[in-house]
Amino acid sequence: MIEAVLAVEDLSISFGGLHAVDAVTFTAERNRITTVIGPNGAGKSTLFNLISGALTPVRGHVRLDGIDVTGAPPNRMLSAGLARSFQITSLFFGLTVAENLRLAAQRLEPNLRLWLPTGRSRRARERVRSLLDQFGLADKAQYPAGALSHGEQRRLEIAVALAAEPKVLLLDEPTQGMSHGDTELTATYVRKLAQSVTVLLIEHDIGLVMNLSDKVVVMNQGRKIAEGPPAVVRADPAVQSAYFGHA
Amino acid sequence: MHDALTLDARANHWLALALGLACIGTACIGYAIGDTFYLRLATEALIFGGLALAVDILLGYTGLLSLGQALYFGLGAYVSAVTLIAFPSFWTAMGAALATGLFGGLIGGLIANRVRGVYFALITFGMAQVAAKAIYNTRSLGASDGLIGVPVLDVNLGIVTVSTASPVGFFLLALGVVTLLYALCSYLMDTPFGRLLIAIRTNEARVPFLGFRTTTLRLGSFVLASCVASLSGALYPMLRGFVSPELLFFSTSGNAVITVILGGVGTLVGALYGSIIFTIVKSVIGSWTEHHLIVIGILFMAVVIFLPKGLMGLAQPLMRRMVHRGKP
Repeated sequence: MIEAVLAVEDLSISFGGLHAVDAVTFTAERNRITTVIGPNGAGKSTLFNLISGALTPVRGHVRLDGIDVTGAPPNRMLSAGLARSFQITSLFFGLTVAENLRLAAQRLEPNLRLWLPTGRSRRARERVRSLLDQFGLADKAQYPAGALSHGEQRRLEIAVALAAEPKVLLLDEPTQGMSHGDTELTATYVRKLAQSVTVLLIEHDIGLVMNLSDKVVVMNQGRKIAEGPPAVVRADPAVQSAYFGHA
Repeated sequence: MHDALTLDARANHWLALALGLACIGTACIGYAIGDTFYLRLATEALIFGGLALAVDILLGYTGLLSLGQALYFGLGAYVSAVTLIAFPSFWTAMGAALATGLFGGLIGGLIANRVRGVYFALITFGMAQVAAKAIYNTRSLGASDGLIGVPVLDVNLGIVTVSTASPVGFFLLALGVVTLLYALCSYLMDTPFGRLLIAIRTNEARVPFLGFRTTTLRLGSFVLASCVASLSGALYPMLRGFVSPELLFFSTSGNAVITVILGGVGTLVGALYGSIIFTIVKSVIGSWTEHHLIVIGILFMAVVIFLPKGLMGLAQPLMRRMVHRGKP
């Protein structure tokens, strides 16, 4: 059996009377792509916020390699090996592409390096170079992030999340607002990523989900309604009714 | 290989060098013609330039508008004055001011950093007002009259001894202290720590997801700024022989913000240029009319509208081209 890197158990939060995420349990296996799908308002992004430490759950646990990290703040989550990207691009727009990546890679360096000249952080610099190549942004390295096209910004968003070499990478709608061509390109990047990192994905493009994912978790109204390989989930009647509309 | 921000910092170093040379030139001329008034004024400009550096750390790098940086400047000045009256030693006074900056900054930072934006500005303003009023009403600190009778010092620098009574000597000493503060600030702003402060200014929400605690970083920035302000303030009683509660008033804090905006936010060296321009404008126009605040207000508005990047917005592109030349 393949080892679960990320285990989410009974995770819950409510806002007022609304159970935004209600007793969600699932696992993500090492170096596989697990995709969370569901209609708008199903609680997917809230689930990501709970896992990544942006929100504190009222109940339940998040375990990373067996270690309970429930309710840890985002900076501790990153040290524990969990990083995320955002649905709404969240970069340092005034800074160069290279500097965005260097900031994100700084965690690879010991804390002492925070007080030495930036050029001395060699490991971070090498990481930046490899990410620039990996994501096809090398020729834009010295451009301000704000000057990139939407597709390039979305790619940089993934690269920034990946910079600190996390074990688990949460990607919140990486193809949001992308053209068909860019979506395909992003899919190939994500597939390549999964060779070395566990990917948890939120995605709306069903075609993409079905051909990219090793496992699909379906949410509706805060609850998990199905979990399994794409083909199995697609055939599930509960999913059919919630996700593809009532027959 | 250096990145764009490091090269920008280098461009600023050339401007700082130009300023330093101009200061030494001024000192020579002042010494030759036996001037006292203008050298004292120039020394004051440097001292308030140190306060402006502190404001720029917060405003230009971390994105925090402090309307009460005079709190630390004034505390540094008072601690220095009290220390000098009891025990006339330059190094003891500077050490006491540094300790004040550290502890005061830690306490003030823990309070002010709980909030952001306008509320941060109001809290810093409020803290400075409270301290100013407390000192204003403390008889043992001279109350509203301030503390007079700070003795003239002989500062032993190892190779030479400088008297604070010597206009040119103390001017050069203040230049040395402010240069060290500038060097410290620009060094720190070019480390990953400084870059994270810039990241906070740009997009604070993302920084925790890069693995860093923003509260710690902002506290670090606040303590650095309070130490810089406090050490600058410590020079003031050595220059003037007295301290007064006005040093902690809003006018001092507000002037420091105006200074930074005149010079150019987020450049450090702009704070020093801004302070010199501000001091010249204030005293030259002040000698014509007592309504010099009107002129400063108009000048400030003109800069904000026509030179949003301040004076450095004009000078920096030139320097940058010089420094970047021949580099990728």
